[in-house]
Amino acid sequence: MSAILKLPAWLRWPLYVLVGIFVLTVVQSISDTERLTQVATAREMLRFSVPIFLAGLGGLFSERSGVVNIGLEGMLILGMWFGAWGSIEYGAWAGLAIGMAGGALGGLLHAIATVSFGVDHIISGVAINILAPALTRFLADEVWESPTTSPRTESVGDWDVPFLAGGTIFGNETPDILLSIGQTEIWFVHDVAQLLRGLLRGTHFVSYFAILLVPITTWIVWRTRFGLRLRIAGEDPVAGAAQGINITRYKYVAVILSGVLAGLGGAFISTELSGLFQGGNSAGRGFIGLAALIFGNWRPGGVLIGALLFGYVFGLDLRDLDGTASHAMLLVNTIALVGVGAWALSRNRTTDAILAGILGTLSFIWWVSSDTVPSWWSNILPFVLVLLVLVFFAQRLRMPAALGMPFRKGDS
Amino acid sequence: MSAAIELTGITKRFPGVIANDDVNLTVEKGEIHAICGENGAGKSTLMKILYGLQGADEGTMAVNGEVVTFNSPNDAIDRGIGMVHQHFMLADQLTVLENIILGAEPTSGGGAIKFKEAEAQLAKVAAEYGLTIDPNDLVETLEVGERQRVEIIKVLYRGADILILDEPTAVLVPQEVEALFDNMRDLKAAGATILFIDHKLDEVLEISDSITVLRHGKTVATMRNDGVTAHDLAELMVGSELPTPETGESTVTDTVALSIQNLTVVDEDARPVLEGIDLSIRKGEILGIAGVEGNGQGELVDAIIGTAAVSAGTIGLLGNDITKLSVRKRREAGIGYVPEDRHREGLLLDAPLWENAALGHQTQAPYGSRWFIDRKGTRRQTAEIKEQFDVRTPNIDVSAHALSGGNQQKLIIGRELTSNPSLLIAAHPTRGIDVGAQAAVWEQIRDARANGLATLLISADLDELIGLSDTILVMLRGRLVAQVSPDDVTPRDLGAYMTGAATQDDGQAA
Repeated sequence: MSAILKLPAWLRWPLYVLVGIFVLTVVQSISDTERLTQVATAREMLRFSVPIFLAGLGGLFSERSGVVNIGLEGMLILGMWFGAWGSIEYGAWAGLAIGMAGGALGGLLHAIATVSFGVDHIISGVAINILAPALTRFLADEVWESPTTSPRTESVGDWDVPFLAGGTIFGNETPDILLSIGQTEIWFVHDVAQLLRGLLRGTHFVSYFAILLVPITTWIVWRTRFGLRLRIAGEDPVAGAAQGINITRYKYVAVILSGVLAGLGGAFISTELSGLFQGGNSAGRGFIGLAALIFGNWRPGGVLIGALLFGYVFGLDLRDLDGTASHAMLLVNTIALVGVGAWALSRNRTTDAILAGILGTLSFIWWVSSDTVPSWWSNILPFVLVLLVLVFFAQRLRMPAALGMPFRKGDS
Repeated sequence: MSAAIELTGITKRFPGVIANDDVNLTVEKGEIHAICGENGAGKSTLMKILYGLQGADEGTMAVNGEVVTFNSPNDAIDRGIGMVHQHFMLADQLTVLENIILGAEPTSGGGAIKFKEAEAQLAKVAAEYGLTIDPNDLVETLEVGERQRVEIIKVLYRGADILILDEPTAVLVPQEVEALFDNMRDLKAAGATILFIDHKLDEVLEISDSITVLRHGKTVATMRNDGVTAHDLAELMVGSELPTPETGESTVTDTVALSIQNLTVVDEDARPVLEGIDLSIRKGEILGIAGVEGNGQGELVDAIIGTAAVSAGTIGLLGNDITKLSVRKRREAGIGYVPEDRHREGLLLDAPLWENAALGHQTQAPYGSRWFIDRKGTRRQTAEIKEQFDVRTPNIDVSAHALSGGNQQKLIIGRELTSNPSLLIAAHPTRGIDVGAQAAVWEQIRDARANGLATLLISADLDELIGLSDTILVMLRGRLVAQVSPDDVTPRDLGAYMTGAATQDDGQAA
C-alpha cells in the first residue's frame, strides 16, 4: 500500500481506476447483468460527467480564489439557455461561446455581490440559483414563445479516435482495436476495452476539450503567476495584499472564469446532449459539480475522477430499466466500504472502521435480500457517495484556508 | 555618509488620540536599532508610517539622505525598506518558495513562473545573508522560528536592505530567539540595517547597537547601547519606578486544592508526553512550572482543564476526583484558566468584550444559567471587570481585537478571577504584554493568592517564575525532574535543570 502511495499521481490514479474496473468485473461475473462494463455505460457516464466536471472545474477556480460558489447550478442553467440561443441564432461554435458568456454573466453577478459588496457567498449563490431558472424561463418564453423548450439546436459534433476506436484519418478507415479486444471474451481485459471504447467513440469535441482541461488547469493554477496569485487570494488574501497583489481583481477573474466553465457545461447539455434547451435538463449537475470539487480535494484530476464516478452511477441508471445493474452496484458499495474499513483499521481509526463495517453490512444485506433496487436509490447514490467521502476522508481533504471569508482592502 | 533612515518631527493623529507626537529618529546604516516602549506608546504606528501603510500628518522622512513620501508599501519596498510583521504574512498551504516570490515572480512570456530561476535567486539571497531554508517545504510544516526566517528572506528577496522587525521575539521560544539574534548579526555583517521593536529589555540590550525609547507617542531618549541597564530603560519607558514580581510573605495554607497523582498522557502514537506526574497545590500557593517549551507543560494544562485524554492517573480538585469530568464541569467546579495563546483560546476576537467576559463561565451566575445567557448580568459583570482590572477600553461593546494585548490579558485575568476559582491555571500570563500591564497582572495574581487561591503558573520568563512562585517544579521530556525553592535558585540554575544539564541528584546545578 505504501509503495502505491509513493507512485506519482498520474500513475496512481489510473491504477485506482483499474482496481475499480476490476471490482466491477468481479461483481458482474456473479450478477445477472452485463451493463456494468458495457460500451454504452461508459458513453453515458462521460455524457453525464462532462457538465459535472466543467461545473466542478469552475468551482475550483472560484474556490481556489476563496469564493464559495454554490451558484454553479445557476450559471450552468444560464449556459444552457444562452448556449441554445447562440446555437440557433449563430451556429454551433458560436453557441458554445455565447453559452460561456451567459455563464460568465452569472459569475460576474456573483463576484460583484461577494467580492465588492461582501454578501455572504452562500446567499449570493442561492440567489443566482433561484434567478437563473426563472430568467431563462422568461427569456425562453419571450424568444421561443415556450417557457420550457427551444427549437432544435446545432451541435459541434463528435469524433472517433482513430486506430483505438475506429475513427477515420483524412477519410481513410482505421482499425477499431478496442472493438476487437472488446469482442474477445478475455475476462477483465474485454471489460476494460469496452469501457475505454465508450470514452473514445462518438465522443463530443467538448468532452475531449474538457478532459484536456485537467492538465491545462493544473498548469495554470500551480505553475503560473496568475495561478499563484489566485491561490494566495484563497489561502491568505491579507498576506497577498501585503505583497502588493490586487486580491479583488484575482477574485473577480476567478469567479467569472468559474461562470465561463459552468456556462460551457450548460451549453454542452443543451446543444450537444439534448439538442435543445429544456428547462430542468441541468438535473442538478451544477450542485453535483460542487460535490465533485469537494470529492476531488480541490484538484483538477480529483474533480474529473469525482465527476466520472457520479456520472457512472447516473449513466448506469439511465439504461438500467429493470434495476439489475443498480442492484449489482450494492455489492460494489459493499466491497468499497469493506476496503475503506480495512484502510481505516490500518490507520487505527477504529470508529471509522466500525462505521464502514456497519454500512457495508447493511449494503450487503440489502443486496442479498433483493433482486432489484428502486430508481430513487441510484438518484441519491452520488450524494450518498459524497457524504461517505466526507465522513471517511474529511481529514485528508484540504480546502483553501480563506474560503468563504470576506476580504476587504486595507484589512490587516 | 547619510543615515539610513531619518525621521523628523513625525506626528500622527487619530480621532481622539495622538499616536505619534513630534517623533525624531535617526537610524545609521548597518546598525541594529531597537525601538522600545509600552504597548500604546506609538511604536507600531511609527513603523506603519515608515512602511507606507499609513501617512504621517506632519514631519519628513528621509531614506539614505533623500526625502521621501510613501503612499503604499510598494513605495517603501522600492526604497529598499522591508517589514516583517508580528503576525506572519504567510500562507500555510503554499511552499516557502511560493510565499517568498509572491508579488515578484520571475515569469516567462506566457506567465509561467520560472521556478528554477526563482530558486536560484532565493539560494543566492539566503547565502548572502547566511540564512538557510528549504524552498520546497510547505509553510505549514515549519516551526515558528523558521516561519520568521521565511518572512525575513521574503523581504530580502525583494531587495530590501533596511528591515523593520515588529516584535520579532514575541512569538518565539528562547532557543528560537537566540537563532533569530544570530541571524540578525549575520544580516548586519552583510550590510543590512535593522530596526526592531521590542519591549523585552534584556533582548534589546543583547542585540541592539542603538536604542530609542518612546513614551506616549513621544521620543523620550535615543542612546547607544553602551553602559545602559534594563532598569534605566524600563524607567524611561514607564516614566516611573519599576514593578517586580515579588510576592512577599507566604500565604500557603494546609488545604490541598489540586492534587495530581501519577498522571500520564500519551500522544497519537501512544508515546507518553506526560509521565507519572505527581504534584499538589495548596490554597494560597503558587506553584511554578519551569521548562523549555514543548516539554509537556501544554499537555499538563490540557489534562487539568480536560482537553486532553488522560491515560493513567488521577486529578483531584478540593478532594473530588475530576479526572473523568467534562471541561464544563471542571470549570464549574472552580478552575480558572488563562490560556497560553489568548487569541486562539482565550478570546473571540470579533465578539464584543461583554460576550468575551462570559466565555467559560456562561453557564454560571452572573453570566447566565444552564440554557440562557443573562445579558444584563453579563454586561454588569463586564463593566465591573473593566473597572476593577483596569481594562482600558472606550466601552464594553467594542470587539476584543480592538484592545491591546495587555488589556486583552487583563480582561481574561479579570474574567477568571472574578468567578472565584479554587484553582487558577495561568499559562504564560504576561507573554507579549508591556511592563505596565505585566505589573497589573502580577498584582492581581498576588492578591488572589493572598485570598487563598491555588495557582499553577507556567512561564518561560524565569524571573517571573522565581518572583511569583512559592514552589517551582522543573519539567523535562514530560517528567518532573526537579523541585526547587524560589528563595535560593537563580535563573541560571533553573536553566540547567530545564535543559537536563543538571539533575536534582547531583545536588548542585551546574
